[in-house]
Amino acid sequence: MKRFLTLPENKNDELNNTAQLIHYSALCLIALSLSFIITVPFVAPNLVWRSIRIGMFVIPTSIGILALVRYNKIWIAGILLTTFLWLTITVGGLTANGVSTPIVIGYLIVILIGSLIPKQRIHFLFTALCLVSLAFLAYAESNKLLPNPIAYSPIERAIVYAFFIIVAAILQSISTENAQNLLKQAHHSEARYRSLLENIPTTTYINSTDANAITEYVSPQIEKLLGYPRDDFLKDPLLWTKIIHPDDAPKVLDESRRTSETQETFEMEYRIIAQDKSVVWVRDEAILVRNDQGKPLYWLGVWTDITSRKQAENEQADLISVMTKRNIQLQTAADVSRAASSILDINILLPNVVELIRNHFDYYYVGIFLVSDDREWALLSAATSEMGRRMIESAYRLKVEESSMIGWCIRHGEARIALDVGEDAVRFVNPHLPLTRSEIALPLIARGTVIGAMTIQSDLPAAFSRVDITALQTMADQVANTIENARLFTERANLIEELEAQNAELERFTYTVSHDLRSPLVTMRGFLGYLRHDAASGDMTRFDGDLERIAKAVDKMQNLLNELLELSRIGRIANPSEDVSFGDIIKEVKETLAGIIEAGRIKIEEKGEFPIVYVDRLRLVEVMQNLVDNAIKFMGDQPQPIIRIGTNGLDAENNPVFYVQDNGIGIEQQYHERIFGLFNRLDPHVAGTGIGLALVKRIIEIHGGRIWVESDLGKGTTFFFTLAGAYNK
Amino acid sequence: MVGEPILVMLVEDNVDHAELVIRTLEEHRIANKVRHFLDGQSALDYLFHREEYTDTGNNPRPHVILLDLRLPRVDGIDVLKAIKESDDLKAIPVVVLTTSEAEKDVARAYYNHANSYLVKPVGFDEFKKLMDDLGFYWLGWNTNPDIKE
Repeated sequence: MKRFLTLPENKNDELNNTAQLIHYSALCLIALSLSFIITVPFVAPNLVWRSIRIGMFVIPTSIGILALVRYNKIWIAGILLTTFLWLTITVGGLTANGVSTPIVIGYLIVILIGSLIPKQRIHFLFTALCLVSLAFLAYAESNKLLPNPIAYSPIERAIVYAFFIIVAAILQSISTENAQNLLKQAHHSEARYRSLLENIPTTTYINSTDANAITEYVSPQIEKLLGYPRDDFLKDPLLWTKIIHPDDAPKVLDESRRTSETQETFEMEYRIIAQDKSVVWVRDEAILVRNDQGKPLYWLGVWTDITSRKQAENEQADLISVMTKRNIQLQTAADVSRAASSILDINILLPNVVELIRNHFDYYYVGIFLVSDDREWALLSAATSEMGRRMIESAYRLKVEESSMIGWCIRHGEARIALDVGEDAVRFVNPHLPLTRSEIALPLIARGTVIGAMTIQSDLPAAFSRVDITALQTMADQVANTIENARLFTERANLIEELEAQNAELERFTYTVSHDLRSPLVTMRGFLGYLRHDAASGDMTRFDGDLERIAKAVDKMQNLLNELLELSRIGRIANPSEDVSFGDIIKEVKETLAGIIEAGRIKIEEKGEFPIVYVDRLRLVEVMQNLVDNAIKFMGDQPQPIIRIGTNGLDAENNPVFYVQDNGIGIEQQYHERIFGLFNRLDPHVAGTGIGLALVKRIIEIHGGRIWVESDLGKGTTFFFTLAGAYNK
Repeated sequence: MVGEPILVMLVEDNVDHAELVIRTLEEHRIANKVRHFLDGQSALDYLFHREEYTDTGNNPRPHVILLDLRLPRVDGIDVLKAIKESDDLKAIPVVVLTTSEAEKDVARAYYNHANSYLVKPVGFDEFKKLMDDLGFYWLGWNTNPDIKE
């Protein structure tokens, strides 16, 4: 019985309420019928049978309704109950006195109960049914179609009214209770959701669905997250767009616009500048909430603080990048030192070093400047890329002063960074390197002296940090030491070469002393012996001849000694160089040699214009004198001897090429090298010590020039020579 | 060999030295004939019968060659090499007669198969004595190979 009376649990609250109402209505009907049956014998014995008939009709129907409710056929139960009530009232109306107050109230109750049925159409149906029934009753009553009206006793009327009142009371109480329950439930669940929303560790917000995404609601956690009072977001619904980190704002707003168009879920991680200017990393996720019809209502979003995660990530990334960088630096340092130990030629080493550094670090440009000997200029000595090559070709140099990074760095012996961030732009812009955004200049210090500087440039802003300076400076120190080593090595190699050359010359010298100086001595002593014989034998002709030989040998010896002395002076004793017109030198030579020029009837032609040369004047006169003298000596039996002196274009180093050309006997190809050697003489019949051309070569070389010969037997001889640094000074 | 005139070839660029050598050799009647050349090129031309020396009858092979080392055009060492590399000439004794005492020259001469190396002495008596001894040794005591054309 108890189970029978328990109501089924439905998920739908409304259905539950209806079930409850029908349930109580049915119970009420049973209770009324029973009480009617019980009370009637006492108050109106004439109605006993009638009451029993009503009871037998009402009670089973009510139990049926209860059963239907119990088995969850609620709306069928509702229809049955309503129909039953309508039937009862209509029958009552027909059997009693037509349209009367109880009937009208009855229909109202029917309509009220009918409204409980969740189907609106049935509700209308019952209302219409009631109206039609009322109209029918009115028609029947006015046309006297009704049977003799039963005169209800006041008790019967009271009972009917009581039923209506009770039903109305129950209905009223149930609906009030329901309404209150619903309200309470609503309040309860809102409080629950609100407490949930406002206590979870994330910030919730609601944004409008338009492209602007204005803030309609934001949970109070926002204050903890960003420091701004919650009301600020409601007063300025676009505040959230204004406080996004400027680097992130464009892509966040783009994504917001995009998702508001496509209605996809918004999901991003970005930075917000909090009220205290600190950077807060948030994860922002929002979904579009729609109503039952699928119409978009609002964006429901959540902001989660991921700052600590991001910091950890960044720290890790920083650590990795620092380690990677350090690793590269170590690798580069190792490569640089490997290059340094294997390459001692500075001209090969420096390009290698700059390439290594540029490649390893993926920099835009790396260059090495070396300080000039007078310490006034920094000369670009090695540089990467095509631009660097061009700059080296154009002998790019910077003054050692504060006007450039490099100049500053060399003067102060300290590293210097220029970063193109914010207002602190690169200060020294180089038009050759337009892409440079940040730059570092490192001094190259070897044995306490700044020997140059290295510039490293990046096309990224702020590519260098203080930490980099330490590592790069270590490398720069190594480069500096390497350069110094290479320099010392080159210097040593040059010294060795010079020493070897001097040694060879010394050897030739001693050889000369043992051979060429000895030679006249042999002659002198030999003929001195014969002189005695000649005197003894009285052969005066031979005596004179032998005496002559001795005298010549003495002269020769003197010449040799003089020229040897002269040769040894060159290089040791130098007159200061001066600007001299080459034409004047030729004039002087012609005057000095006027005698033999005249005697040989030699024509001297000067070809073209002569430059001003910056030379040791006396030495250059000596050179020209020797060359002209040689030309005259080896003229042979040329009937029209001509000597041409002139310049013949420029050599590879842009120095003018001078020449002295004769149309004499010429020199065979095989002797072209030997003629410049000390004491090498080709023709024993021609007077000479074999020193002349050696002397010429020596002087030319001291002037940084070069001498060579073009000739062949019978075709005349041309001596060419250059004088470095002696061009149009 | 008996009755055959003894020919000495002298290659010497210094005319005074050549005169000294020739005079000394003549005085001692060591050589019947001395032929003097001023440079290496003409000496080789003579030995190989080139240029003006093609007539073998007038230009017989010498019995001994006195060779100076520092010579114009073709150097003494190159003359020595050419002689010692020639199957026809390598049997002729070559005596290097020079003013150089340099070890390098001595070594180079012997390395190129010189038969003797003599340094011209500074001093008349020494010079004469050397020439005497040279004559006696190479043209007297020494049995020379039979040089045929």
